[in-house]
Amino acid sequence: MIQIQGLHKWFGTQHVLRGVDLTIQEGETVVIIGRSGCGKSVLLKHIMAILEPDQGDIKIDGRSMFSMAPDEQDQFRLQLGMLFQGAALFDSLTVRDNVGFSLIEHTKLSENTVDEKVREKLGLVGLEGVEELMPASLSGGMKKRVGLARAICNEPKIILYDEPTTGLDPINADVINDLILRMQKQLKVISIVVTHDMTSAYKVADRIAMLYEGRIIAVGTPDEIRRSPDPVVQQFITGSAHGPITNHSKKEMEQL
Amino acid sequence: MEWRQLRKTVSVRSWLRDFGAGCIDIFKGAGGISYLFANTCVLMTSKKIRWKATLDQMNKIGVMSLPLVFLTMLFTGMVLALQSAYQLRLFSAEKFTSDLISVSLCRELGPVLTAMVVAGRVGASIAAELGTMKVTEQIDALESLATNPVQYLVVPRFIAGLFMLFILTIYADVIGMFGGYLISVFKLGMSSHMYIKRGIDALMVKDVVTGLIKAFFFGGIITVVGCYFGFNARGGAEGVGRATTLAVVVSLIMVIASDALFSALFYFF
Repeated sequence: MIQIQGLHKWFGTQHVLRGVDLTIQEGETVVIIGRSGCGKSVLLKHIMAILEPDQGDIKIDGRSMFSMAPDEQDQFRLQLGMLFQGAALFDSLTVRDNVGFSLIEHTKLSENTVDEKVREKLGLVGLEGVEELMPASLSGGMKKRVGLARAICNEPKIILYDEPTTGLDPINADVINDLILRMQKQLKVISIVVTHDMTSAYKVADRIAMLYEGRIIAVGTPDEIRRSPDPVVQQFITGSAHGPITNHSKKEMEQL
Repeated sequence: MEWRQLRKTVSVRSWLRDFGAGCIDIFKGAGGISYLFANTCVLMTSKKIRWKATLDQMNKIGVMSLPLVFLTMLFTGMVLALQSAYQLRLFSAEKFTSDLISVSLCRELGPVLTAMVVAGRVGASIAAELGTMKVTEQIDALESLATNPVQYLVVPRFIAGLFMLFILTIYADVIGMFGGYLISVFKLGMSSHMYIKRGIDALMVKDVVTGLIKAFFFGGIITVVGCYFGFNARGGAEGVGRATTLAVVVSLIMVIASDALFSALFYFF
């Protein structure tokens, strides 16, 4: 279970997260939606403890990563896997070394076992025979899949997806959606997906949470979100150019 | 209207604000670089060192700088011979050319010029590489895979920088003297034996050692500064470009400044 309590984050004078509260149950897939630049990725990086909050706390199974010693934190972090927006593959390493990175770094498994595990994880995301390629020679969709294979290589209990379908064609996007659902079914993990792609959100979510102006303004099942009376939520999910969100940002622009 | 705009740009308040912001940036940079340096030293002693990555960096920082250092020092040695002979001739003291070359190379020119060309070549490449990793989230990815980016990226470069600058400086001293030899023997008519003998006799252990101590520190400065600006790159290609420029400029300034400091220290003690 993940409990996010009153999370605040400033970048300089910018108040990005303004008190985020969210609880995520075991085995659940939560999709966090929101406009570009509203702090969704920042929230994910806090769950991963790559960024530290200025106020508030995140507890994973009752424990907060921010109060741990660095070594303990690293150990704990192996229970989490993250797929980054641009996949963030290490471009000096082959696909095999990318996927097996944490096995090579943190375990004493033999080369053969690592090879086997890497092949198995690549198989899970539907890739084979790419072990010796460099990331630069992969297509966008393949990079994401290799990134996902790297994220699940430790058999994590929590997988974080940062805009998994952004920048992919609709077919590849759906392949990734299927993968998210399959990971969920096969590995029984908690998944947190950050996206602004509503098709993807409806497809994979058990619950959808909307982040707006640094706070979670609505949480619910996809149906509840569809029927939400909140005009902000309605504008976002219908993708309209006119409504409270754009009016508000217009006002902000005028103030500048 | 124009007058008002002009007043705005030259107003004392905006000048003070820019000056203050500049000062804050300088202190932030100084603090950040010191912190990264301390962090690197702690990790270097407390965690296991990646020798494979370190050797790889030694190749990139040291071996691949050899041609550049060779050319720089060869020409420096030649120029040094010509210029000093030109002056010494006034006192009919041309035979001291060799003394002058070997001492000035080992004490000063060898370490400083090597550090400068390496700062340009290696400092820039470190900042660009780490900066690109930063803006494409690869550094975050390292952390998410429970790997400390400082230990993984900075420590190998730092160790390689320390040792390679040391070795490159020895190489630079020798090449510089060889450049001086070419001019002195083939152009100024000095005998080969005399050039070598006078050059070696003029050198004291202290001259060579102080130069090499400097080189050691320069290696550390160049790599840590390059890594710092790489880690702090943000905002895509432009950010990486800015980080690269800053890394080279700051490491050059720090090399020269610390050279002055060391020269003063060695002069008095």
